[in-house]
Amino acid sequence: MADSNAQVPVTVLTGYLGAGKTTLLNRILTEQHGRKYAVVINEFGELGVDNDLVVDTDEEVFEMNNGCICCTVRGDLIRIVGGLMKRRDKFDGIIIETTGLANPAPVAQTFFVDEDVKAKTRLDAIVTVVDAKHLPARLADSHEAADQIAFADVIILNKTDLVTPAELEQVEAMIRQINRFAVIHRTQRSAVAIEQVLNQGAFDLARILEMKPDFLGEDDHEHNDDISSMSFEVEAPIDPEKFNAWIGLLLQEKGQDLLRTKGILNYANEDRRFAFQAVHMIADGDFIGPWKDGDQRVSRLVFIGRNLNRPQLRRGFEGCAAD
Amino acid sequence: MSQTATATFLLETRGTSHDLGAFVVAARFSRDGTRLGFGMGDGAVWQMRVDGWVDGDPAWAKVDVHDGAILSFAIDPAGGGFISGGDDGQVKRTDAHGAVTDVASFGMKWVENIATHALEKGKGLIAASAGKIVRLFDQAGTQLKELTHPSTVTGLAFDGKGKRIGASHYNGVSLWFVAAKTDTPRKLEWKGSHTGIAIHPEGEAVVSAMQENSLHGWKLPDGQHMRMSGYPSKTAALSFSRNGKWLATSGADAMVLWPFFGGGPMGKAPLELAGGDGIICTQVAANPVNDVVAGGFADGLVVLADIQSSRIVPIVPPEHGPISALAWSSDGTKLAVGTETGFAAVIDLAKR
Repeated sequence: MADSNAQVPVTVLTGYLGAGKTTLLNRILTEQHGRKYAVVINEFGELGVDNDLVVDTDEEVFEMNNGCICCTVRGDLIRIVGGLMKRRDKFDGIIIETTGLANPAPVAQTFFVDEDVKAKTRLDAIVTVVDAKHLPARLADSHEAADQIAFADVIILNKTDLVTPAELEQVEAMIRQINRFAVIHRTQRSAVAIEQVLNQGAFDLARILEMKPDFLGEDDHEHNDDISSMSFEVEAPIDPEKFNAWIGLLLQEKGQDLLRTKGILNYANEDRRFAFQAVHMIADGDFIGPWKDGDQRVSRLVFIGRNLNRPQLRRGFEGCAAD
Repeated sequence: MSQTATATFLLETRGTSHDLGAFVVAARFSRDGTRLGFGMGDGAVWQMRVDGWVDGDPAWAKVDVHDGAILSFAIDPAGGGFISGGDDGQVKRTDAHGAVTDVASFGMKWVENIATHALEKGKGLIAASAGKIVRLFDQAGTQLKELTHPSTVTGLAFDGKGKRIGASHYNGVSLWFVAAKTDTPRKLEWKGSHTGIAIHPEGEAVVSAMQENSLHGWKLPDGQHMRMSGYPSKTAALSFSRNGKWLATSGADAMVLWPFFGGGPMGKAPLELAGGDGIICTQVAANPVNDVVAGGFADGLVVLADIQSSRIVPIVPPEHGPISALAWSSDGTKLAVGTETGFAAVIDLAKR
């Protein structure tokens, strides 16, 4: 990620129909920010576009023939990114709006799997808009609502004016149950400053360093089908070979349950931080900037998914410490 | 190729070049051979006069054609100009004098593929795709038919006679008869994302490029499957040699040529030409007259390779950006080159 400046940042906007996605998109596009975006949408809404390019697409999800059963990508996005890179006017960012019921995994995986897309763009953040009033019902009746929250780096908790303060606390607790690592912004009519949505650098993971591990007891096991999130910390330097062997096997065996995995690793005999991330079975990693003086050199790893086994994950991660 | 460091590049002695200021999407020589056209990422069509260049005046000229990027570019089968498709949803014709006319509109959808075929007596066919739809026109732009596919069309190609047109898409290729009364495609199926297509000049095979850094092929007429793999990256260019003996491809750190004779390509190793530097070959173009293939690389190097002897001739030094376009004149004497950074050149390789 050393040359991340040369890569166009991509923001993925998910959320149920009616949650406020289009309103948020309109805010982003009409605000006087002096930047130029390409916006990829599936159905034409009432978009106010002056300076920006709107690309109308059909979501085309297909399976890769790479022996990985859950590796699906968006073929239309691969073509669109290729086309945009031919234009003379370069974009400050690409914003991809998904359909309401979309599973975010194929969009995210597209940015890991396709070499051309990886070379030209970087996934900046997945932003999920949720409706404070209707979220409990959505979570009860569909898988996708929970998946969209699990994948999110940023959550716009919208329509807070339609619920009582107590209900709002309850909804936020439900979100935290699924994903304790996303940044949550409470909004009405999707009113949020765009610098809190775009250019988050969430996928370059630096923020994870500031996260506290959860020192919860071993007894907070989840129902099998529920999504939860856990983080782990190892103080001893990590042996890259041991880590690769362990995480490779883990993703291969549990990848379908592991929606997102991300971490910053302190490799033995290495002055740079190693950033690791995965969507289901598809993993990617790279060195990012050096540890700064005064940084606490610890390795942190975050899992968001189903059927997370805390003791097993912790033992596995601790087993990666260098001898 | 360490020898290229000291070699003379033919661009210097036999070529002319121009800065076109945008990503070169494609290059084509016009049907009558008098013009060389470049379709550009800024929506312009550049033309140079091949006939004028002989007398020392190439007269490079730019015309703004599309509002956005040109995504597809082909010869005009009706005359001396070119047909282009853009991300503005338009199909346009630019004639030899730079006059622009509308051929068709696909609304908001990107026109990602165009294929044309010149028939006798100034007649011809124009095919354009946007999304799942392919529209077929005669040379005048009158729509002949509209062909719908199961998913977005990613590549279009006519066969050698202009009787059939093939379209690549997810899970295979559809082959349509241009003159059929009822439109039912021959479906050549193979699971996965097919991203480009080439048809053997004698109609003996169809080959597609795939997302997973490999090629898939079908022998015709029986539809027998062929798999060609081992590429480190995606194949963007597929080019059959003049009689269909070889299929030249990009996507490896050499030009990779698959033999389509003697039972090949199954069970045969491909020929690898101009490799060894670890630089990816981004474009290939087989010469239409001789068994010679041109290859362009990600570092900007362009070479010619003689298929029989594997002899390499350096053409353009690695100095002008990744090669994004290569094209031969129909008499096989001139090679056009374009790069992602807007460098364009033409080299005269005729015997002197």
